Amino acid sequence: MQNTLLVGLSRQVVLERQMDVVANNLANMNTNGFKAERSMFQEFLNTGAHEDNFQGRDRRVSFVQDRAAYHDFSAGPLNETKNPLDVAIDGSAFLVVQTPAGERFTRDGKLSINPRGQLVNASGYPVLGTSGPIVFQPTDKAINVAQDGNISVLEGTATIDSLRGKLRLVSFARPQSLEKQGDNLFAATSDPGAPDTKAIVRQGYVEKSNVNSVLEMTRMIDVTRSYQKVSSLLQQQGDLQKAAIERLAEVPA
Amino acid sequence: MRALYTAATGMAAQELNVQVISNNIANMRTTGFKKQTAQFQDLIYDHVRRVGAQASDQGTILPVGVDIGGGVKTVGTPRLMTQGTLSTTGNDLDLAIRGEGFFKIQMPDGTFSYTRDGSFTTDNTGRVVTANGNPLQPTITIPNGATSITVATNGQVSVTVAGATAPTVLGQIGLTRFINKTGLQPQGDNLFIETQASGPPQDGIATADGLGDMMQKTLEQANVEVVTEISDLISAQRAYEMNAKVVSAADQMLQATSNMFR
Repeated sequence: MQNTLLVGLSRQVVLERQMDVVANNLANMNTNGFKAERSMFQEFLNTGAHEDNFQGRDRRVSFVQDRAAYHDFSAGPLNETKNPLDVAIDGSAFLVVQTPAGERFTRDGKLSINPRGQLVNASGYPVLGTSGPIVFQPTDKAINVAQDGNISVLEGTATIDSLRGKLRLVSFARPQSLEKQGDNLFAATSDPGAPDTKAIVRQGYVEKSNVNSVLEMTRMIDVTRSYQKVSSLLQQQGDLQKAAIERLAEVPA
Repeated sequence: MRALYTAATGMAAQELNVQVISNNIANMRTTGFKKQTAQFQDLIYDHVRRVGAQASDQGTILPVGVDIGGGVKTVGTPRLMTQGTLSTTGNDLDLAIRGEGFFKIQMPDGTFSYTRDGSFTTDNTGRVVTANGNPLQPTITIPNGATSITVATNGQVSVTVAGATAPTVLGQIGLTRFINKTGLQPQGDNLFIETQASGPPQDGIATADGLGDMMQKTLEQANVEVVTEISDLISAQRAYEMNAKVVSAADQMLQATSNMFR
């Protein structure tokens, strides 16, 4: 009889966690390059209260467990910003960011230049080119990022382009193995990633978050209602128990 | 319940987003104003089940993990330093920069500020000053009785004095650039000051040092595009509403729990 309570509880815990995922997706609705997450659940079978004297075999009790939060890597909409240092990636590639903890990967292409002339992301970490950080000279102007990631500039009053580097683009055979690190960064865990030559870099655009707000709202309502349903189920179960105890304990006068 | 706090970070972020957008709209007619955009990043994740961890004794590896995010944070409000549109005013001392540079302004305390607002006038001694009366650097003094003022594209100022036939060269207006313009700190009054992030100022001459050129009788308008701002405003407002809905949904879930056993 207690199993109902425990099964319901396992569902509630999972729903609460799913709500956390929905909340995080919605909170990051305007975060550049953000990738939404989905919860996945699995059945978790367990033996019930065991009693050898029963005629038939005990059936196993099925609980629910959240197995994974998988990343939705679909492309977010591209927003034109006209900022020459904004890049959006058309394709599945990631930009490589050099952090103190090692190389990290991002789709957030809102870049800037630090006082040392390096191309950096919003947190100030260098964005890597195919041969290390991309460094601009103080007199560089008219920065142009080509579709293949080549960055050229006009130096001072020169009229001929000089190359400042090429953005390093990396794609993953198993992108689900990437781990979110916060700060719009992903860490590679088991898949090292390979250079991507197919991706197209769009200058003057940023990739917005791919959170589908309508879908998330629907999911949120679904989660809330399911949670309430389980709660009322558990409540009924509790009432049933209470009634049983009261009735069984009734001593006829 | 974590969702409550996550949604709260979302609401705070969108509130800031609306603040930034409203400041852009408020300054859409401010000469030389550069619009800002709020920029966000996701907060750190709680790795409930770490991807790549061993899942069984047989050595199977978890292909995906359970990562629960904690919401959103504002990482910066960088300025978009693109060229604003130029509008002709007809005023001799209205100057617009077409390019990278800034005008250098001397403040009353002796420090320097930088601006893209080129609506200059002269003060009681004939010095070329900003609308707030702070002199342009290097100082240019327009002599009494000057009939016409000409500012060349390289910043050279010449005047014709009554009675003279040839114009006299008074000096040259210099420009200053920074390697990271976005790192300049706004001071209000259309002024910026140098910071650690902007890098040191590099003074130069218009056209010669790749700083852009100067246009007389012209002013640079704000680079705010109203349509973009309004659509951003709507998107920010909707995002705020959705986060508020999450708060009430999470609250309903909590209520369901507390009502379970009366």
